[in-house]
Amino acid sequence: MNTTKANISKQQEGADDVKSLKGTLVSTGIVGAVIVIMWVAVFWLYMTRL
Amino acid sequence: MEQAIQSTLREKANRALGVNLKDAKLSKAYLSVSFITLLVGGILGLLQGLERSGLLELPAWLNYYQVLTAHGILLILIFTSTFTIGYLYAGVSHTLGGLLPKVRKMAWTGFVLMLIGVALVVITIVANEASVLYTFYPPLAASPVFYIGLVFVVLGIWSCCFGVFINYNHWRKNHRGEVTPLLAFFAMGVFVLWFFGSLGVTTEVLTLIPWSLGWKETINVMVSRTLFWSFGHTLVNIWYIVATSAWYVVVPKIIGGRVFSDKLARLVVVLLVILNIPGGFHHQIIDPGISESVKFLHVFMSISIAFPSLMTAFAMFAVFERAGRKLGGKGLLGWFKKLPWGDVRFLAPMVAMIAFIPAGAGGIVNTSNQMNQVIHNTLWVVGHFHLTVGTSVVLTFFGICYWLIPYLAKRKLTPQMNKLGVIQTIIWTVGMILMSGSQHLVGLLGDPRRTAFTTYGDHNTALSWVPYEYVMGIGATLLLIGVIIQVYAVFNMMFFAPKGETEFPIGEPEDDALPTPIWMERWGLWIVLMLMVVAMAYVVPVVDFIVNAPPGSPPIKTW
Repeated sequence: MNTTKANISKQQEGADDVKSLKGTLVSTGIVGAVIVIMWVAVFWLYMTRL
Repeated sequence: MEQAIQSTLREKANRALGVNLKDAKLSKAYLSVSFITLLVGGILGLLQGLERSGLLELPAWLNYYQVLTAHGILLILIFTSTFTIGYLYAGVSHTLGGLLPKVRKMAWTGFVLMLIGVALVVITIVANEASVLYTFYPPLAASPVFYIGLVFVVLGIWSCCFGVFINYNHWRKNHRGEVTPLLAFFAMGVFVLWFFGSLGVTTEVLTLIPWSLGWKETINVMVSRTLFWSFGHTLVNIWYIVATSAWYVVVPKIIGGRVFSDKLARLVVVLLVILNIPGGFHHQIIDPGISESVKFLHVFMSISIAFPSLMTAFAMFAVFERAGRKLGGKGLLGWFKKLPWGDVRFLAPMVAMIAFIPAGAGGIVNTSNQMNQVIHNTLWVVGHFHLTVGTSVVLTFFGICYWLIPYLAKRKLTPQMNKLGVIQTIIWTVGMILMSGSQHLVGLLGDPRRTAFTTYGDHNTALSWVPYEYVMGIGATLLLIGVIIQVYAVFNMMFFAPKGETEFPIGEPEDDALPTPIWMERWGLWIVLMLMVVAMAYVVPVVDFIVNAPPGSPPIKTW
């Protein structure tokens, strides 16, 4: 009985894991960071050349 | 009712029998022209790259600006247009149950018109009568034949635009209450934007013809530049929608995943159609005679494209994460390793998507007023262009070839061809990192674009650019190797690969996906909104340019 419950719980975890989008959130955050870093770098260059 | 039954029967027959041979012939014709153009344009690109690096001196009968014009027109206009039509017509045929006979005729008419146009344009460039760069706006003046050739190209594209509109509406009439297939929706977005986006440049070209013939002494340069960039800016985003159509619809199927959200994909298309055209002034941000408020409006509209772009980034990462986890990927980013990196049909568009991250960031730099002052007339812009179009768009096009051409030719993608495709993708990526990377860097040091090689009398600043220019030349060499491999692969798959059936990969929605609301199909509303936004951005400045016109310019030939 306990084994069955444990199996169901494991299956549930597996299904949740497949549906997880945590990595997507982090990846999109990395994209945003690249954009901000590149923008700030060129803005810094502009300021130093004023 | 009878028509609806016939239509459904045709769709079933289409699915059962595979590709419609008449439609396949049309797409293969467009794709053949596309890749022949790529080969010629690629060879010219290498000549240009080596000359610009100081590694090659062109013969007296061929000047740098001639090569630059031909390279730009052939690749930016002809290669991309013919590929887009070949690919999307195949997509429309597959998803909407085949092309209507009159639509097929319209596409063939477009094909002939485009070929006549290309011939006229190429003849004038070869005759050194049209070294006006690929942007071809005044005061530089080409032979009238060059502009007439461009009119033929535009008419050819319009013929294809109306063909898709007819086929799309025919399907909708026979499928009341149904949402169109996602790939057809993307095609509709592309052709709507193409038609309305090209109205401005067509007006410009029609005014350039009497000016170049000498019937009109001068021309209003500000109006011409504005009309050109209303199209130039839009064209970039037309390519972008074509590329994202494959990312959203095809890539999920190839990697064994599902479409993340049909609704989100359609919203991205609608946003790109509505927001796109009014961004032209970010290309003219240092032009005089345009008020700051109008420039700000265009900058805002250009940056607004970042919104659907980040939606696309999220949606694609979600497709990858879910597919990767199904394949056993664990942890926060472990799913990344599980993706099919050895499959060129995935690898090429994936590299294209990764390239879009710095390309998009560079685009935001370009459209920011102060930062544009740093990079405006430099090789940075050329590097940006090769990253956006040359990598994000073109690598997606290359990836599409490895399933589309076998599908059209009723042949198979062999493991050897897949391997060659992976090698080609790697060569292209390395070549573009070297060329585009060095162009970005040397642009920040002030190396100008649209200028043949010069050391400005051995000035120290100009000499400091030379090492970067050498790297640019090496990158250009690798890129031509990539072009040759790709062209070989395309024609091999079209005529010599083993016979067999290849699937047209169309991703399916998640099992628990909610149905897409039918109001997303209200194209009349999207077009009205687009025209309102266009009017908001262009009516005031264009009227101002005409009422308070600067002195007109006579035709100028600098070569």
